[in-house]
Amino acid sequence: MLEVRNLVFAYPDQESPWNFHFTVEPGQCIAIHGASGSGKSTLMNLLAGFLEPQSGDILWQDESLRQRAPWQRPITSVFQEHNLFEHLNVETNIGLGIHPGLKLTSEDQQAIEQGLDSVGLEGFGKRLPGDLSGGQRQRVALLRALLRQKPILLLDEPLTGLDSDARHLLRQLLLEEKARGTLIVLASHDKEDRKLLADSVHRL
Amino acid sequence: MNNLAKRQQHGLPMPSTPGRPAPFSRPGWQLWPGLTIASALVLLSVAGLGALIWEASLPDISQLWQSRYLRTVVTFTIWQAFLSVLLSLLVAIPIARILARQPAFPGRAVLLRLMELSLVLPSIVAVSGLVSVYGRQGWLTGFSSDWLGVSWNLYGINGIVLAHVFFNAPLAARILLQAIEGAPPSQLRVAAQLGLGRWWYWRAVEWPAIKPVLPGVAALVFTLCFTSFAIVMTLGGGPAATTIEVAIYQSLRFEFDSGQAALLAMVQLIICGFLWWLAARRGLTASLLPDRRVASHRTKAGSSLQARLADGTVLGLFVLFLVMPLLAILTRGLPGMGSAFFPQGSFSVNPALLDATVRSLAIALPAGLMSVCAALLILASGTTSKRPAITRLTDVAAYLPLIIPPLVLGTGLFLLFRPSLGSSSEGLVLVTLINAMMALPFVLQMLKGPLGSLDSASRQQADQLGVLGWYRWRWLHWPRMRKPLALAMAYGTGLSLGDFGVIALFGTPGQPTLPVLLYQQLGSYRMDAAAATGLWLVLLLLVLFSVFNRLGSPLHKTGLATTSPRRVPEPEHA
Amino acid sequence: MLIRAFALFLLALAFAPAHAQKAAILTVYTHPSFAAEWGPGPAVKEAFEQTCNCQINYVVLDSGGDILQRLRLEGKSTQADVVLGLDTATMETTRQTGLLANHETDLSALNLPINWQDPVFVPYDWGYFAFVYDTEQLPNPPKSLEALIAAPDDLKIIIQDPRTSTPGLGLLLWMRHVYGDQAAEKWAQLNGKILTTTKSWSDGYFSLFMNGEAPMILSYSTSPAYHMAVDKTDRYQAAQFEEGHYLQVEVAALVDSSDQKKLGREFLDFMLSADFQRHIPLKNVMYPATDLGDELPSVFDKLIQPEEALYFDPKTVSDNRRQWMNEWLDAMTR
Repeated sequence: MLEVRNLVFAYPDQESPWNFHFTVEPGQCIAIHGASGSGKSTLMNLLAGFLEPQSGDILWQDESLRQRAPWQRPITSVFQEHNLFEHLNVETNIGLGIHPGLKLTSEDQQAIEQGLDSVGLEGFGKRLPGDLSGGQRQRVALLRALLRQKPILLLDEPLTGLDSDARHLLRQLLLEEKARGTLIVLASHDKEDRKLLADSVHRL
Repeated sequence: MNNLAKRQQHGLPMPSTPGRPAPFSRPGWQLWPGLTIASALVLLSVAGLGALIWEASLPDISQLWQSRYLRTVVTFTIWQAFLSVLLSLLVAIPIARILARQPAFPGRAVLLRLMELSLVLPSIVAVSGLVSVYGRQGWLTGFSSDWLGVSWNLYGINGIVLAHVFFNAPLAARILLQAIEGAPPSQLRVAAQLGLGRWWYWRAVEWPAIKPVLPGVAALVFTLCFTSFAIVMTLGGGPAATTIEVAIYQSLRFEFDSGQAALLAMVQLIICGFLWWLAARRGLTASLLPDRRVASHRTKAGSSLQARLADGTVLGLFVLFLVMPLLAILTRGLPGMGSAFFPQGSFSVNPALLDATVRSLAIALPAGLMSVCAALLILASGTTSKRPAITRLTDVAAYLPLIIPPLVLGTGLFLLFRPSLGSSSEGLVLVTLINAMMALPFVLQMLKGPLGSLDSASRQQADQLGVLGWYRWRWLHWPRMRKPLALAMAYGTGLSLGDFGVIALFGTPGQPTLPVLLYQQLGSYRMDAAAATGLWLVLLLLVLFSVFNRLGSPLHKTGLATTSPRRVPEPEHA
Repeated sequence: MLIRAFALFLLALAFAPAHAQKAAILTVYTHPSFAAEWGPGPAVKEAFEQTCNCQINYVVLDSGGDILQRLRLEGKSTQADVVLGLDTATMETTRQTGLLANHETDLSALNLPINWQDPVFVPYDWGYFAFVYDTEQLPNPPKSLEALIAAPDDLKIIIQDPRTSTPGLGLLLWMRHVYGDQAAEKWAQLNGKILTTTKSWSDGYFSLFMNGEAPMILSYSTSPAYHMAVDKTDRYQAAQFEEGHYLQVEVAALVDSSDQKKLGREFLDFMLSADFQRHIPLKNVMYPATDLGDELPSVFDKLIQPEEALYFDPKTVSDNRRQWMNEWLDAMTR
């Protein structure tokens, strides 16, 4: 179970700090809902460990994550954009998610190839992210996140601005992932996304 | 975790799990080596000054404003440096703008190499070139007084400023060009769409791009001119043109008045240090030296025929300014080249020249490599540490070798390494070390920008993926930094290749390096041979810069291992 | 394979000095032009090593001033056995460090324009400061210092700075010797003719004089010897001045803390032998310190023969230099 317990954070010139408090079970998806500027991305950054809370705690299976560095947390994330290293090709981007030094076994290579096939990006391995469309980039980012097999998946507007085909494919992938027991924290403006994926809604 | 088992059932193959953490990923690895080097640099400088004061207690500070001589020296130093900065920037800004506007014309790459070269030219060679163009008997002087009725006197403040512009304007233009090219592509697109005229383009795109680096460039050029020495004396006309560095040399070498030397060194330190502090406070030293990043979208602003003609004319004048002295070096060196390469009528390199070349490279290449490594480590610790004191220490260490008079630094180093000096191989190792140190400020500036250019999104991604330590370097920095690293190596190597000061200061075994050979030839009236050695040195530097430039461009760009850094991230506005 | 070759190379480097240490080593601090491949250094080294079971090891420093500075910094722990390349201007300061020993060399063979009885310093060559001129640009050079000073200002000369160069200091002393307390005034008159004042002799000679920037440069009376003997041209000549020319004597001395004193003294003795002196005229382009007789190259007969050698005792120079320098600065920047 993921428990966000009275997590308090404020930017230096912010008057009233945010206070996040909720729990989610594995296999469930919680949608974070709120106007822009209501702290959705901040929450994501706190969970991922990119920001440090002023107080409160994040517990996963009753263990505190607060002291853990981003790379030590059981978390992987996909944001609306900037998910890929622009100077590295698709294969390398995914490979670094599997092993941070790109020391890949032949099974890993195979996994990448088959993964690309399964998201409809056959033969795109050598392309640079800049040569892909927004939808294609998000598919790569999501594929990497899935191959990382972390129990918690953070999604910050992952489908915003994509065409309907890409949107459909990614939604299917996410539903499958949820069914496999992955816990999803979803921040989305999109009503349909929320309806389709979320089991509960947390309002900010 | 049953999560994994489920995945296998669903047919997505399971990748192997990562093993040990990334090598050198503990924060200490990023902090301590760099911090050690930075502290050593500061310590050496303090030791140098301290040693001088120890030798003879600090003299009466009031002589600074009581002695007319010292007063004029300080005023003159500042005045000539100020003028040189002003003119260098006045030349550099239009040139940078034109080069940014004209991204592809034949010879552009060669011109950029030549611009990089000017900083590392040995001053005696460059001055000889300048004199043969602008001197009393110079080509241009003769031409202009015969045909245009215009004449000038090179010797005096104008000669000093001319030489300083020759050395520094290309460098400044190179840095500013990089800044303009680094303007956000979105901004360029908007500007192109609006079809902005020259003036508005300047206001909207170019000025905002160069504004942040301008004070840093000014501080760099100012420091270089402030500490200028032989040029000031040769072209200055007389003792009225005396810089602080000359006075320090005089105090240490002829009057053995260490106290006065220390006092003057401190004045220099305070003035230049204050300037760097000003520049740094406004956050401007970000990426001072050219990192040769090529922006992906180049949009030309107002390229009417007239505009291009105007650009061409200005650029042509600049090329003449840059190339004429180099041509003079060429013509003067050629006769001697004959005897250097065809001693008995058939081709065979003069062994003395060959030996000196090998020796020079044996010192300069490791020195370049060392300064690049040291710069990376210092930068790493400066950016890793969250404590401002440490960041400040690394910043200070970066500029010290530029501001501290070499003689003072030399004395400090000497006192530290004293027991091991004298024997030949150790002496050369020391010379290599010091050369590496002297090149550090430039190398550091060159790498600072690119290393810091990793955007926060990439950093966070890397953090989450655990791409740390060596892995981060290998996969995130290295592909983007090939070019800056190659250029930094070229500068580091080039600076020590042309160095005479350090090696002369510490003494060498009988076998000379190229610059020492040049001075030996001069000292024995072998003027042709010396001119040839000077030309050879210039050619060697040119080859060096071209080779490193080539090394900085990846040969193939497919596959996992090598990826093209040519492509700069473009904003992904969907 | 490559790595192995490299390792062997390193090994060779490591053992090379060890191997050489079998014979006694005489460490000589000197300046670049002496130790240059074509300078007297290598020839002298070879000749001396044949007479002793020893090896000469040159440590090359930028100038006489650097040799002195290095010696001062190293003090008694210096590795130098002999210092060679000081001159009459730096002699006194070096003596005052107390780091040098008496030479015990028989000075009777000396052939200098002045009488030399110094117990510490042994001269190895000498020369006069003189203005060298380009005969093509200036067929009729001034015949005296006075004439130079009185010449119209369109006659341009290049001099070196007394604060940073030996010939520069030489001219300062020359003027002082000729004009005494009037020197400052004369400098002020000369000022209009000075094109520029360079840091070192090399800067002026190479960058300016050989580029034809001025027809006259402060140099040595022996400079034309090289041009005549090696470049085979009579184009550059020294102008003889009626008042006489200032003398420079280059000296060597034994370091007191040396553990090779005997060898060092042998070297100083050897310095005054023909085997050393014969390399001086064309390789150092100065007058030998002893009479070489017929061995003196014939071009030396074509050089100017100053009627009077002007010379201040090193002690006088050391006592007054700062004041004279300040007078000069004052006169030049007024």
